[in-house]
Amino acid sequence: MKSALHNMNPSVKFLIITICMFTLAFFFNPWTPLIVWIGVLLVQLLFSRINWKVWTLFMIPFVIMAFGYFWTTLVFAEEKTGPVVWTILNMEIREVLLNHALALSFRVLAFSGLSLLFALTTKPVSFILSLMQQMKLSPKIAYSILVGYQFLPVLKDEFVQIQQAHRLRGATQKGNIITRLLNMRKILLPMLAGAVRKSERAAFAMEARGFTGEKRTSFYHIIGIGKLDVYMAALFLMLLIVSCASSSFI
Amino acid sequence: MLKSWKLKEVVLMSLFSVVFGIIYLLFLHAGNIWAGFIGPIAYEWIFGIWFIVSIICMYIIRKPGAAVISETIAAAVEVLLGNAVGPRLILAGVVQGLGAEAAFAATGYKKFNIWVLMLAGIGASIFSFVYGYFMGGFTVFSTGYVLLMLGLRIMSGALIAGVGGKAVVDGLLATGSLRGYAITRTAKGDARV
Repeated sequence: MKSALHNMNPSVKFLIITICMFTLAFFFNPWTPLIVWIGVLLVQLLFSRINWKVWTLFMIPFVIMAFGYFWTTLVFAEEKTGPVVWTILNMEIREVLLNHALALSFRVLAFSGLSLLFALTTKPVSFILSLMQQMKLSPKIAYSILVGYQFLPVLKDEFVQIQQAHRLRGATQKGNIITRLLNMRKILLPMLAGAVRKSERAAFAMEARGFTGEKRTSFYHIIGIGKLDVYMAALFLMLLIVSCASSSFI
Repeated sequence: MLKSWKLKEVVLMSLFSVVFGIIYLLFLHAGNIWAGFIGPIAYEWIFGIWFIVSIICMYIIRKPGAAVISETIAAAVEVLLGNAVGPRLILAGVVQGLGAEAAFAATGYKKFNIWVLMLAGIGASIFSFVYGYFMGGFTVFSTGYVLLMLGLRIMSGALIAGVGGKAVVDGLLATGSLRGYAITRTAKGDARV
């Protein structure tokens, strides 16, 4: 029960979440996204073992962002009609506008809730493998992405090395943000040059081991679709239908 | 589409996408916090950053699909690394990539001068803006504000992605590590330094 979201097929999860997001984009009232957000929270509480500390950390910037949407909508929106709900600092907040602002910021929250559900319960490697096995992603691309993904720690080490080398030779740059951003080029270029060489070597190694990039029928790690995926998909669709229906009642 | 690609080109593209995926993610987090204070317009003037990989990959590899596939992979890497924008980001990546790809396709994948690269940045800006207009609900903002956002994004796309992308690749070309890719071949087919 607690691992249902983790055991779901990543492609199915991806599709369902994308469908939820696209549907949400059609609804422009505060209730639909709010219900989706709460529903997603409940689903995660019941069916996953995610680390809620990490969840909160990821959510904070989006709460700030939702707030940004909220007040910019109030200030910059076009609509200037309808009954006045509040007045702050001589600014009249109108009902329609308040609804729009709430709708936009809850939408940000709903989107990030859905995304976090996916990000925190999916293993990157099985997502790529599942894309290849279920969604017919070309093996050439799938394995290349995996190669790139495995290089991540190497690239991180290289970044630190280049920085240290710069520091050792006294090439560290101080200054304002703009000069520092322009100087990023000095770190970026060696990293990219290293990436070019690494990719060439990896490609040769793959070819030397008989990788042709042809479509395959059998895999070492098999990622299948089972009953669990059907149940979870049904649960998400239910949530979506309830939230969409709520817009016509409230 | 991938038939004519060499494996090393595909791997190069995905490694670049990984490197830029990290950079994208850093800017995304910075942008999010920034956006909390000044609203969605915060992203507009740095939006070009998010188109850069499609232009860099296309400029080096010069094969149909290089822009859209690389941008999609970079977005996928952002999702793999874990962030709260999530799967929606992959769709955004496809849309941005298609915008850049459209500019290269319009020139028949023949010309790769600064103007075409800037055009690709502008194409990505326009495509991503239309997508953002729909998904982000920009409809509520006044026309002037939306036009200001669009103008900023187009400028950023042309300058950061177009001019910046070219600068990065030209610097990389000077290191000599790009030998063997389409960029080092001139029109006649003989090697350039």
